Amino acid sequence: MESLSLFVRSIFVDNMIFAYFLGMCSFLAVSKNVKTAAGLGLAVIFVLLVTLPINYLLNTYVLAPDALIEGVDLSFLSFIVFIAVIAAIVQIVEMLVEKFSPELYSSLGIFLPLIAVNCAILGGSLFMQQKDFVNIGQATVYSLGSGLGWFLAIVSLAAIREKLSYSNVPPALKGLGITFITVGLMGIAFMTFMGIAL
Amino acid sequence: MNTNSNVYTIIYTTVIVVVVAALLAFVSQSLKDRQDANEKAETISQMLTAAQYGTKAELDQLSNSQKLDKYAEEIEKAIIIDLEGNVVKELEGIDVYNPKLLKRQNYNIKGGANATGEPELPVFIFRNGRTVVPIYGAGLWGPIWGYISFEPDKATMAGAYFDHESETAGLGAKIKDDPAFQAKFVGITAKFADANVVDLAKGGEIDAISGATMTSKGLDAAIDTWLGAYAKYFLNAEEE
Amino acid sequence: MNAKLKETILNPIFKGNPITVLVLGICSSLAVTVTLKGALVMTLSVIVVCGISSLILSLLRNTIPGRVRIIVQLVVVAMMVILVDQVLKSFEATYAIDKQLSVYIGLIITNCIVMGRIEAFALGNKPWPSFLDGVANGAGYGLILIIVAFFRELLGSGTLFGIDILNRFGYVPNNLVILPPFALILLGCIVWVQRSIQKDLQEK
Repeated sequence: MESLSLFVRSIFVDNMIFAYFLGMCSFLAVSKNVKTAAGLGLAVIFVLLVTLPINYLLNTYVLAPDALIEGVDLSFLSFIVFIAVIAAIVQIVEMLVEKFSPELYSSLGIFLPLIAVNCAILGGSLFMQQKDFVNIGQATVYSLGSGLGWFLAIVSLAAIREKLSYSNVPPALKGLGITFITVGLMGIAFMTFMGIAL
Repeated sequence: MNTNSNVYTIIYTTVIVVVVAALLAFVSQSLKDRQDANEKAETISQMLTAAQYGTKAELDQLSNSQKLDKYAEEIEKAIIIDLEGNVVKELEGIDVYNPKLLKRQNYNIKGGANATGEPELPVFIFRNGRTVVPIYGAGLWGPIWGYISFEPDKATMAGAYFDHESETAGLGAKIKDDPAFQAKFVGITAKFADANVVDLAKGGEIDAISGATMTSKGLDAAIDTWLGAYAKYFLNAEEE
Repeated sequence: MNAKLKETILNPIFKGNPITVLVLGICSSLAVTVTLKGALVMTLSVIVVCGISSLILSLLRNTIPGRVRIIVQLVVVAMMVILVDQVLKSFEATYAIDKQLSVYIGLIITNCIVMGRIEAFALGNKPWPSFLDGVANGAGYGLILIIVAFFRELLGSGTLFGIDILNRFGYVPNNLVILPPFALILLGCIVWVQRSIQKDLQEK
């Protein structure tokens, strides 16, 4: 089934973090413990799930060449339209998180509004533009898969980091340093998925 | 003024949206002709490179009008063909196919929901006997496209030039920046009768770029799709 | 120049470096550091965009409605970058440069440093310091980019700025170095060096 293979592919083969290295900043900064990481991961899934289909509709019915009016190509506005949609949704998420979970809000800090510039989310919409999905269902499957891939990546990194805090890491390498190296190694490991035809 | 009131928010947002949209639209429209002229000259430069009229670096030394003149001098015939290889019309003046038009034809070749009609495939025949055809497809981060030229025997490749929108610098971007990669196409025979017209892969007839697997695969697929569309034209021409 | 301004400029270069301390701008530092040329182009672009965006948003800071804060920031940044791209595309002299930059446009707009500094500094400070903060952060970012790109291009292609350095000695370019994971490992090492020098940055 095409949707199933699209779904599995977008989690592993097209993993936002390990195949395309998108969304790194928040991925690295918010993976100190599993709980916060899971919180951010869920926020990313939610934002992707909402913005990608909306951007798909906008792309198909407004931005694509000849979509709105014959002969008019609005695709140079793609960037700004996608970003505006994403920013609006992130603003809503920020307000929701602040209201319903103040502790998550403070532990995420600046990285909650930074979801708006999370390359993974914009990247998702830009890839969607390229992949020429047939209908909004496929776009939604893709967004769910991409979000899940990002979520799995950040939670696994957080789990590793929690365990690493018990190891004898040299003081200057502790924290950010060893995290960079760990992610680099995870990235090399993930290259096994590259090029798998699903 | 209460910057948090609903009315203010709505007015502010509307103003910003209108200002930005107007500014971008105005700039884009007023600069469109200049941009198109630049793009046309660039496309010509790429085709001339593929047809081996010089290296890209050499051709880029020319000004826009010089490039247009060179094209006018060297082009013998510019035609549009259909999938059967029949000539549909001749291109007037200096009419070249930029990536946007290639994208449209790409949809037409592939068929499906985004197609707007039958494919119109451009063929450019130059005075040095070489035939140049475009290709277009998806790279890793964005579209990739280019031009491949064939010797008068309409089967052996004489040169190639590729371009991209957003491939990784130093890796996928090598399809454009590395003349050594483009040189690999010279002398290769295209197997028009096969689905795999050109063997661009790791360790294949044309070796893929190390570290740029996805871009190389995308390029291979693009070449196979487009040369496949041109197959009948080239096979018929060979027989003549 | 008063001490506070001096601090604003010097901090992002080392002590408060956007990449190694603030953890911003990582995505692009993986993508553009394959070649030194790419690193330089990106650095200059980020310095300009970050500086001017911080300036503009600092000027607007008291007028932005709380609820649409993020959208306004992003729209301003995106608009600026797109305008620069459109203008560069139109002139014969700059068309070639623009083709090189186009690849990075997306990476510049979504560069966390730009947005991060707007949120953390420009929205709460006057225009001139905000501009300086933006420029300085761009420079700090560039410093790291250049270091990473130096090693990646030298070890991964044997060249620097496209000029062959190592290949003539029979050096075989190391393909692992050219891949993004290696950039991460390099960044880890840079952080290691920085924190060995600056012990107060070390995490407990």
